Amino acid sequence: MKYAVEVIDLVKNYQPLKKYKDYFISPFKKNIVPALKGVNLKIEGGEFFGLLGPNGAGKTTLIKILATLILPTSGKALVAGYDVKENERLVRKSIGYVVSEERSSFWRLTGRQNLEFFASLNNLNGIEAKKRIEELLEITELKNDADKYFKDYSTGMKQKLGIARGMLTDPQILFLDEPTKSLDPSTARHLRNFIKKDIVEKQGKTVFFATHNLVEAESLCDRIAIIDKGVIKACGSLSEIRRLLIGKKKFIIKFEKIEERVVEKLKNIKSITDIKIPASSSQDENACEIEVDGEGEEISEIIKELSLLDIKLLSFFPVIPSLEEIFSQVTEKGEKI
Amino acid sequence: MILSKPFAFLKKDLIEQASYKFSFITQFAGIFFSTILFYFISKLIGNTASAYLAPYGGNYFPFVLIGIAFSSYLSVSLSSFSSAISGAQMSGTLEALLVTQTEIPVIIVCSSLYSFLLTSLRVVFYLVLGFLLFGVEMSGHGVPAAILILFLTIIIFSSLGIMSASFIMVMKKGDPFMWVFTTLSWALGGVYYPVKMLPDWIGRFSYFLPITYAMEGVRLALLKGYSLSQLTFQVGVLVAFALIMLPLSIYLFMLAVRKAKRDGSLIHY
Repeated sequence: MKYAVEVIDLVKNYQPLKKYKDYFISPFKKNIVPALKGVNLKIEGGEFFGLLGPNGAGKTTLIKILATLILPTSGKALVAGYDVKENERLVRKSIGYVVSEERSSFWRLTGRQNLEFFASLNNLNGIEAKKRIEELLEITELKNDADKYFKDYSTGMKQKLGIARGMLTDPQILFLDEPTKSLDPSTARHLRNFIKKDIVEKQGKTVFFATHNLVEAESLCDRIAIIDKGVIKACGSLSEIRRLLIGKKKFIIKFEKIEERVVEKLKNIKSITDIKIPASSSQDENACEIEVDGEGEEISEIIKELSLLDIKLLSFFPVIPSLEEIFSQVTEKGEKI
Repeated sequence: MILSKPFAFLKKDLIEQASYKFSFITQFAGIFFSTILFYFISKLIGNTASAYLAPYGGNYFPFVLIGIAFSSYLSVSLSSFSSAISGAQMSGTLEALLVTQTEIPVIIVCSSLYSFLLTSLRVVFYLVLGFLLFGVEMSGHGVPAAILILFLTIIIFSSLGIMSASFIMVMKKGDPFMWVFTTLSWALGGVYYPVKMLPDWIGRFSYFLPITYAMEGVRLALLKGYSLSQLTFQVGVLVAFALIMLPLSIYLFMLAVRKAKRDGSLIHY
């Protein structure tokens, strides 16, 4: 197995429900709504991979295809080396799937009874099942509440039980579809730490994490793919995406007092391709933002040139776009990296 | 190991159902009152239908008691599979079930086991009430034949139930199998009155319904003590129905699952 997950030219088209009038006006016309338009991804084992996208971008469709719940229209998807179309059973054996839907457990069963039931459906029985359930209750800190009815659980506890359920078989790959969606900030942070520290760092699992929460993706994921309207717009580590997105480096220079001659000087430096005064990300009217084209040596040249002006330079630092800025650039402006 | 999944479903359903305490208890009270109702109806009918009832002992109450007791198996066979699917779709648990290492047909069959178990309890309750309170006499000789007929009938009606579940899987609601077979079977299959009472032209339709052979076979076995060798015709017809319908239903179900996965509507309702 080369990759934990490999997706090749994956396409999924849906046919929306017809309205009554459609049966009269165009009875034979097939409306097609594309959900995924040729998605390609490669995820290594042990990676914490984030799939980031706005609502309706295709995140859940992709995750459901990988979990064998939906068949793709065309293309290929391999999970743990198995084709999701040809080897559904083996795929399901290799994965744990955590849904954000808190109704996905049985409300009139206790947490432990829920886990026992799903363990049995995953061919885990007897002492082996009991041992695994105890371990998971311990890991998810649900041990003291294991014998409470699921209906009496808080949203955070329900979500943790969902994770425990997804990990019953000790799967190599865990798919998490917006697991912190309905949690309060503190519980969400706790859950994120738990996934990062216990599941990925301690247990070495591959985690495929779909979310529209940028902070979550930025703080957790080794690599991120940004998906919008069924197309992967960017994929890589956050720094790789930044590099690819920026292309030209941006810097903010703060002066004690910005003067016309300084601006003129900057305009005459060849490697500077754009100047904004004041800098768009700064309230300081004595700061300017420059866009530089080059490999890095040009920075010292700019500083050297400015020092000749006999002007006080307070700071000179690079502009690092946040994931939010990258996300909005990719999804709102439709840029593809 | 093989039984661990059916047992897990039975345990889960029992815990869930027992937690609805009022409903759990009242369903048995319902059986008691319907038995009394039919007892008094049979008193009212008296001997007026004895010519039609002669093959089954001539008395209406044992005839109808067996009819309603065993037809509940047929109801549950027809409805439990589609109810299992739509119930899991509505409650939100279907997705979690489908990503386990258990195949969909096993999930659907195991989800209906509790209904069959409860129905068996109901049938026993009906028969015990009839025997203890109203003096219905049954023959022990016919019990093996009755069990075989019941088994075949459950297979046939479960096949129809699986077809119904296939329809629900794709269309979500408005299942035509259930409506057609329930209506025809209950009206023409001899559940509440002998098929011979029907006008000839309507009665002919009853020969196309498996319930006709099932009801006749079970009544002759339990009320007249017929052995298996005396019921070869009824058993033969039921075997033929089962051999055609079971593979057909499984094929249709697999097609329906494939279509729902292609449409992405497996968990929609």
